[in-house]
Amino acid sequence: MSEDRGERRPRPRGGRRPRRKVCTFCVDKIEFIDYKDINRLRRFTNERGKILPRRMSGNCAKHQRQLSEAIKRARAIALMPYTVD
Amino acid sequence: MNRYEMIYIIDTDLEEAARKELIEKVSALIENNGGEIEKVDETWGKRRLAYAIDYKTEGWYVLVTFKAPAELPRELERNLQINESVLRYLVVKLVEKRSAVKPRANKPAPMEAPADVEAAPAVEEAPAAEEAEAPAAEEAPAAEEAAPADAE
Repeated sequence: MSEDRGERRPRPRGGRRPRRKVCTFCVDKIEFIDYKDINRLRRFTNERGKILPRRMSGNCAKHQRQLSEAIKRARAIALMPYTVD
Repeated sequence: MNRYEMIYIIDTDLEEAARKELIEKVSALIENNGGEIEKVDETWGKRRLAYAIDYKTEGWYVLVTFKAPAELPRELERNLQINESVLRYLVVKLVEKRSAVKPRANKPAPMEAPADVEAAPAVEEAPAAEEAEAPAAEEAPAAEEAAPADAE
């Protein structure tokens, strides 16, 4: 959980919900995710090279689909690793 | 004619002259089959591969953008597959704006052309649609405001 709201009041037991993450691609108004832009893509893989799930990255469904396609293309031409050991 | 983008990796063991020749050959192949080269980008040059291909850790990346009829990528891929010096290739169709594929009424169309096509039928439906949506739009924000207030 990267960001928290400043004004967080204590909730009744077990109620703390993390702040809803927003899709970074929507924020940056990126219409197409380029498979060549590996610096951007790398942020959405873990240290083993796996694609982060939506619940971790906070991406919207549309961009997550594009992102996974872009990462897979980047892997195919050895711009990104399939696995890191 | 579609726009395509092709990226291919040449073996770095190939000398400069032979590499130039190979790039020329690929370009010629595109043009001889009714394609039209827009740009050959070699600025990537020698790059470390993310994983070893045939025990090689480096490759020479070449990026080509071109216009071509739909049959060409298949022929192109067949040729690249045959060539021993090409480690990998990827041909991708460039889609400029996907607004033509799924036009949405609530979003402004980013491109001119699809908007014009849409314009004619939209005008006829517009008055009825606006009346129907107007009351709904007024109620919606109120409902949204109420929800977070409860959550806090």
